[in-house]
Amino acid sequence: MNESVQLPDDAMLSVRGITKAFGSNSVLKGIDMDIAKGSVVALIGGNGAGKSTPVKIIMGIYQADEGDVFLDGKATKLGKPAASLAAGIYLVPQEPMLFPNMTVEENVLMGFMQKSSDLHKRLADLLNHLGWKMDLNRKAATLSIAEQQLVELLRGLMRDARLLILDEPTSSLTFNEVESLFAIVEDLKKKGISIIYITHRLTEVFQIADQVLIMRDGVITLDGPVSNFTREMLVAGLLPPNAVIHRDQCENKPVDYSSCKPALEIDRLSGYGFCDVSLKVYPGEVLGLAGVVGAGRTELATTVFGRDAVKGGKVYIDGKDVTGFSTRRMLDSGLNYVAEDRFLNGIFRKSDVAANTTAANLDNMSKFFINFREERRITDQFIKAFRTKVTGRDQIIGSLSGGNQQKVVIARSLSTNPKVLILDEPTRGIDAAARGDVYTIIEQLKAQGLAILLISSDMEEIVELSDRAVTMFCGHINQEFAKCDISQDNLMAAAFGVTEGSAKNA
Amino acid sequence: MVNKVKKLFVRWEAFLIIVIVLEFLIFGTLSPKFLNIRRLFSGLNQFIPVCIISLFVTFVMITGGIDIQAGSIVGLTSIMVGVLWHDANLNIFVACAIALIGGALCGALSGFFVAYTGVQPMVVTLGGSFLYSGMALAVSNLSSNAAYQGISDFPEAFRAISKTEVFGAVPMQFVIFFALVVISYIVLHRTNYGRKIFLCGVNPNAAEFSGINTRAVVMSTYMFSGLSASIAGILLTAYLGTAKADMGSEYTLPIITAVVLGGTSNLGGSGGVIGSALAALAVGFLRIGLGLNGLSTQYLDIPVGILLVVTVSLRFAGTNPKLRKLFSRKKRQTVVSKGN
Amino acid sequence: MLKKLLHSREITSIAFIIFMFLGVGAINPAFLSSANIWLCLNSSVVYTVVAVGIALVIITGEIDVSVGATLGITAAVSSTMIRDGQPWFVAIGAALLIGLAIGTINGFGVTVLKVPSIIMTLGINGIVRGLIYVFTNGKWVENIPFDYKNLAQGRLLGSITYFYLGAILLIVAVHLILTRTKRGKYLAAVGDNIGGSTLLGIPVDMTKFAAFALCGVLAAVGGVLYVSRVGFVTPIAGNGYEMKVIAACVLGGISLSGGVGSVIGAGVGAAIMASISRILVFIGFSSDYDDTITGVLLIIIVVSDALIRRRAVEQARRVRLSAKTQHVAAVRKEATVGE
Repeated sequence: MNESVQLPDDAMLSVRGITKAFGSNSVLKGIDMDIAKGSVVALIGGNGAGKSTPVKIIMGIYQADEGDVFLDGKATKLGKPAASLAAGIYLVPQEPMLFPNMTVEENVLMGFMQKSSDLHKRLADLLNHLGWKMDLNRKAATLSIAEQQLVELLRGLMRDARLLILDEPTSSLTFNEVESLFAIVEDLKKKGISIIYITHRLTEVFQIADQVLIMRDGVITLDGPVSNFTREMLVAGLLPPNAVIHRDQCENKPVDYSSCKPALEIDRLSGYGFCDVSLKVYPGEVLGLAGVVGAGRTELATTVFGRDAVKGGKVYIDGKDVTGFSTRRMLDSGLNYVAEDRFLNGIFRKSDVAANTTAANLDNMSKFFINFREERRITDQFIKAFRTKVTGRDQIIGSLSGGNQQKVVIARSLSTNPKVLILDEPTRGIDAAARGDVYTIIEQLKAQGLAILLISSDMEEIVELSDRAVTMFCGHINQEFAKCDISQDNLMAAAFGVTEGSAKNA
Repeated sequence: MVNKVKKLFVRWEAFLIIVIVLEFLIFGTLSPKFLNIRRLFSGLNQFIPVCIISLFVTFVMITGGIDIQAGSIVGLTSIMVGVLWHDANLNIFVACAIALIGGALCGALSGFFVAYTGVQPMVVTLGGSFLYSGMALAVSNLSSNAAYQGISDFPEAFRAISKTEVFGAVPMQFVIFFALVVISYIVLHRTNYGRKIFLCGVNPNAAEFSGINTRAVVMSTYMFSGLSASIAGILLTAYLGTAKADMGSEYTLPIITAVVLGGTSNLGGSGGVIGSALAALAVGFLRIGLGLNGLSTQYLDIPVGILLVVTVSLRFAGTNPKLRKLFSRKKRQTVVSKGN
Repeated sequence: MLKKLLHSREITSIAFIIFMFLGVGAINPAFLSSANIWLCLNSSVVYTVVAVGIALVIITGEIDVSVGATLGITAAVSSTMIRDGQPWFVAIGAALLIGLAIGTINGFGVTVLKVPSIIMTLGINGIVRGLIYVFTNGKWVENIPFDYKNLAQGRLLGSITYFYLGAILLIVAVHLILTRTKRGKYLAAVGDNIGGSTLLGIPVDMTKFAAFALCGVLAAVGGVLYVSRVGFVTPIAGNGYEMKVIAACVLGGISLSGGVGSVIGAGVGAAIMASISRILVFIGFSSDYDDTITGVLLIIIVVSDALIRRRAVEQARRVRLSAKTQHVAAVRKEATVGE
């Protein structure tokens, strides 16, 4: 099956040539990794880089299409979680998956076969040793996120895991809890336990990791000891190879906005997942909103769109106060939103292209009966304008490629004739040709005077399309960029929390 | 043009039509009585209520829900009409109107809970089936007639609703059923409202993002379902000439079977009334045919139950990855993979 | 330990039944006689046993509406065999096997064929109901030997019947298995969080399959007890039992989404359900309102449960999102302090 592979001597776990595709979407294109015993390996990557996938394969949740996994130098098949658990691997998921109606102790000990009194003693000893105070009898549903993550950690520790995979463990922890976690990680290292540490926070990489792996577009682009890298080198590793690096001079003269009225104004808006956000989008411009997953950009957009409650602040469209409007009223006020997750929130998979195009506009087209003529006209108009590849108006959208599906979703968002359009990851998971088409569409919309808020994790895209840009980090706007300052490395750095003011501390 | 004809034949409804034709061939050969039109319609008369309710339970199931209380609403409607006419001395048609409103309200109540509190449709309609059959019994106690007797001797004008025969042989009930098929088809496939029902079933999130009030839409489907159960109750009462509280108690299984067999996926998002109507007729003919060939009525649920389980499992077996692997290992040819 | 008891969902149900009894007693003191109370409890034995079975399925997050039909057919088969002189243990054994077969078929349909449990069990319900008619030819099963019927009357110390005592022991045993053994805990785990269960290597499909199989067996036990208690079997025996025992579970604090509740709650709920009829008689209402009250109770409880759950999920989501925005504030604070 495979020629003898050269593996490093101290590698506890190695993978070679892992590929994985979901449907036609190729997520991993050949991953090689070596995890040394007792080391902390940081795994970083931009959004959509596929960071979670290799660890889920190691954990047996997914099966690789190709490639091999080696434990202590021997090829092993990890077909299901039970196999990985038996091999001493444990994944602490990013979102803790506890049993809400069971106690902490039951959660930690679930799945163990030994005598309960023995296990209880081991658990109590473990807690003592760690110095954690945890009420074993509390129901998991009442725990804070940090406490839930600790419980997940306990599960791994109780299993004498040799390899612990921590998937963004600090994303919901407070500062002190993070310090606590680091102390634990150091302790585990001393015991010879290996750790794969997935994170967005570059600071943490330098604080606790021995080795760093950078994933981009399904492959590992950088691999080496942390001491070999600086922050800038990591940021560069996250960017595509032909990324344009920022030059200090600015050829364009700054645009004077004082005489324009913003089409969309968000004033100190706070909601669930973001805090104190202020921004303006003017007619005929694209405002890029960059940041990593979890920064709060989508939460901002969906809250504005009426999907969640507003905690404070205001939203204005063309000067009219639309704060807290329901989705329907927002649509009628001239704002539309193209959802981030096309599959979950965007397409009506079993319905045809025409139905997908007109879904938001039915009552405007006619009162009671479906206006099929108008539906046909609008659908054809958009199919032509966007060069959507379909066999006909009646093709089921589920059978279209990702790019064409996205075009239909964008068409729908335009069918309500909005003045403001929020695009959330509009080119995620679509092919290059469709991407080009979408960019053309955006340019056309700009020319027509639409105000566009472009949320994207693709820094290249933001650079190419935006007239201005802002970045969000942990729910706050942390930096604003004028046109000449928008560059991939600037955006990437800011998205990872490395801003000029906080370069020392972030 | 050829493509269109081809498409027509590949559809599920075509399959159902073939099934019905087969039933006629098989049962007709086994027992010529089956082909007697009068006999056929007479046998179908008792089943029309199921056919009618299936049309509107289709609406509910397209949104991804389920309704198992319709049978109880049939009985409740029946006894309400009886009691209102017999003991409250209301005009029979006024009594019918009140009963219709009552049925719609019963459906709407469950629909409200499903749409606005997120409770599972199966469970709340289970409670509803209890509640409404209990209420039916309570209503029957308000009458001077004993509950087991039921209420009879309805005016001819009322009974004419079901008993009149149009074109000599076609019972009025069937005409009403046909009219309802047309109406439900138009509503579901030609109105904005009907389109919204589909959208809410295919992807409630995307529907919300499109500004559709999914909760109102979902609730309304249960209301229509309840209304259809009322209509069925009135028709049945008129046909049998008796109002009884326990009418319709055995309808739940055939209704769900008809809807599922008719091509509506219980996951929601696809289906249609034509399919449900054809499937209901197919099930109806199955029962008549088996009945004529000696199968006693109480056994008729067996083939219906088997039909339900087999249909759904075949549909799902197609999506179970383990079973797929089992079959694909045998077929070693390359399969063209679909995009996305 | 006492604290845990006081906070459990079961305590609400127990409190409910106590208050219910006291309330009825206030209207009609005759209700609170010990003879009557024992009558209420003893008469709930069939509901109790079947409720325990269905509780297993509900705890894993599924549903089974064929238990009434299973009860009916096992009652019909075992009573016919006893009437015709077969040894009792053969008849009972046959009944249990039938229950196991039905439960196994349900489990197979749900876990392998991936048919949703409501539809699978609805279909099986129809089939089995029809099979009862096939087996009995539509006739009642009567003339059951007196000795067999008398079993139901046997009492310990003149109060609790041996049947009900057995039911209580069953509840205790099953409860201990579900809460103390490793495999027993899988049921609640699967119902509580399927993703988490898979991650921990718990065999989700096998667990659900086992729940359905056991449910069928316990429904069969119910059928056997039914024959003894009622004394004869009609072809519609057990009709509607599924609704009653689901209601019993819900009343006993078991959540239909799975993972919550215990078989003790199912037992309490079954007692409540059985008592409703008698209660109606004692406070002067016709027992015709039985179904109405059951329906209302069921709807109230299920809706409240859904609302509470919804609120909890929303809360959790919001807390999670809010936590993400605090890191920056803390870092900034640290930074200013450190400078």
